[in-house]
Amino acid sequence: MSNRRSVTALSVSILVGLATVVGISRATDIHNKEASSAPPSEEQLYLQGRTAKRLSLAFNGLAADWYWMRSLQYVGRKVIKYEETQSGQNGLDDLAALDLRLLPSLLRIATTLDPQFMAPYEYGAMILPTFNRAEAIALLEDGIAKNPEAWRLYQHLGYIYWQGQDYSKASETYGAGAKLPGAPRWMAEMSARTAAEGGSRRAAREMYQHLYEESTDDRVKELIVRRIMQVDSFEERDRIRSTLAEYTRLVGRCPASWREIFPLLRKTQLRVDPTSGAPIDPSGTPYLLSKQGCDVDLDTASRVPYK
Amino acid sequence: MYIHRVFSATATIARNTFREAVRDRILYNLLFFALLLIGGAIFLGELSGGQEAKIIVDLGLSATLLFGVFIAIFVGVGLVYKEIERRTVYAILSKPVGRGQFLLGKYVGLCMTLLVNVLVMGAGVSLALAYVTNGWDPLILRIWPTIFLIYFELAVITGVALLFSSFSTPALSALLTFLVFIIGHLSGDLKSFATSLGGTAARWVFNALYYLLPNFSYYSFITPAAHGQIPTSASFLLAALYGCVYVTVLLSAATLIFNQRNFK
Repeated sequence: MSNRRSVTALSVSILVGLATVVGISRATDIHNKEASSAPPSEEQLYLQGRTAKRLSLAFNGLAADWYWMRSLQYVGRKVIKYEETQSGQNGLDDLAALDLRLLPSLLRIATTLDPQFMAPYEYGAMILPTFNRAEAIALLEDGIAKNPEAWRLYQHLGYIYWQGQDYSKASETYGAGAKLPGAPRWMAEMSARTAAEGGSRRAAREMYQHLYEESTDDRVKELIVRRIMQVDSFEERDRIRSTLAEYTRLVGRCPASWREIFPLLRKTQLRVDPTSGAPIDPSGTPYLLSKQGCDVDLDTASRVPYK
Repeated sequence: MYIHRVFSATATIARNTFREAVRDRILYNLLFFALLLIGGAIFLGELSGGQEAKIIVDLGLSATLLFGVFIAIFVGVGLVYKEIERRTVYAILSKPVGRGQFLLGKYVGLCMTLLVNVLVMGAGVSLALAYVTNGWDPLILRIWPTIFLIYFELAVITGVALLFSSFSTPALSALLTFLVFIIGHLSGDLKSFATSLGGTAARWVFNALYYLLPNFSYYSFITPAAHGQIPTSASFLLAALYGCVYVTVLLSAATLIFNQRNFK
């Protein structure tokens, strides 16, 4: 009987104790949140890549995975925070606004721990150039030094140069990658096209298509899809502008609504919203008439990158 | 006839050690947690941006090594101590069984246990890979040479644990073995210390430490394995040979010390 009592007493004390611990934790969290009215400072990295490699013993691959996932979480958190404070979507288009100052170091540590880990190089090539082009180039050059046979790294480095409008360097890098064993034939074609056409839309579309085909990362693929949509949208907007110019020439004024130029728009074979008659951008959002109907622009709700 | 008797006695001790270790609850717990960790790798992989297979190999093989090291250390250091503590060592050594045979039997028994563990954990990693790749991926087979390299490393660590346990307490033996595991993975630094230091004596000391302490970097292939690489046959065989020779040295030293011990 006394044994039963003691079991009951102990069980109750465990349950009550756990409930109290939960209560205290919640109270402490609320108190700490209220106490720190200042905005939380940027987290710091305690380790450099080489130190992390030494400390990780035989587990450097696992540590690299950890830093890689931390990089993804870091960007994800920044995007969520931005969207909460700016009440709008960022979608990785305006990365400079996110203040991703730790991302280069996180990617560097991941690739120092596991130099053959290609995902951080690819992610770095896509994300870093928008706010730290020099670091993006350094990351890819380091990757090439450690993996001289990896033609994909030349593809990414070429992309960074191309995006920075350094077409001769981009062509040179594609050309160097094309000579590597296993490199696809289009690497040499990209080298020639970048040299001849520089920043043309055809070159851009081809570059994005190859990047899309080679990528295994869904986030990177989504980013590339939006860039392809942007190229398509540039072409669509050119066609719409020429339609608007034709209408202005015929009528002597800019249209007041899309309905007025509906017959002309149909000839361009653009997708048109049946209710408003507005042409639809590649993300499915209707374009807007701007400058008193004399120009076309993207809707703010559109997923097509503005810049 | 003599050789047969020697082998038979050693095999009996090994078999009993294996049975005892398998019955040990700690062993099951470690195995359970390792499998749980491998299962967790599948979920972690979803956070990895298309790197599921790499993360499963890294996490699964690292868990195999880490839990293997825990088993080798915590079971290894108690192998001899428990027999002395329970006084069963008197009964064993009163029979025509040499002290060296006793240690060898204990060592082989624990190595058999570790082999079962490593094979089960390796199979778990392969299954997890098959799950995330929807059936087949070359990695499923390509990780196995690395799994055997992990096993060789564990065999050396077991030898180190047995050596320390032949003259020290389990707690101190566990600590010393763990330190050897850490130093063994930093042996490249010992070599670079030796080359960077100016003094001849210091250079000699670091060079001696580099060559005399076990060099576990020969068995570190988890990171390349996650990229589908396999060790060359030469490096695999040299690592296996290095392990065999090193274990022979460790068991000889353990026997030498154990022979001097007075159980009265």
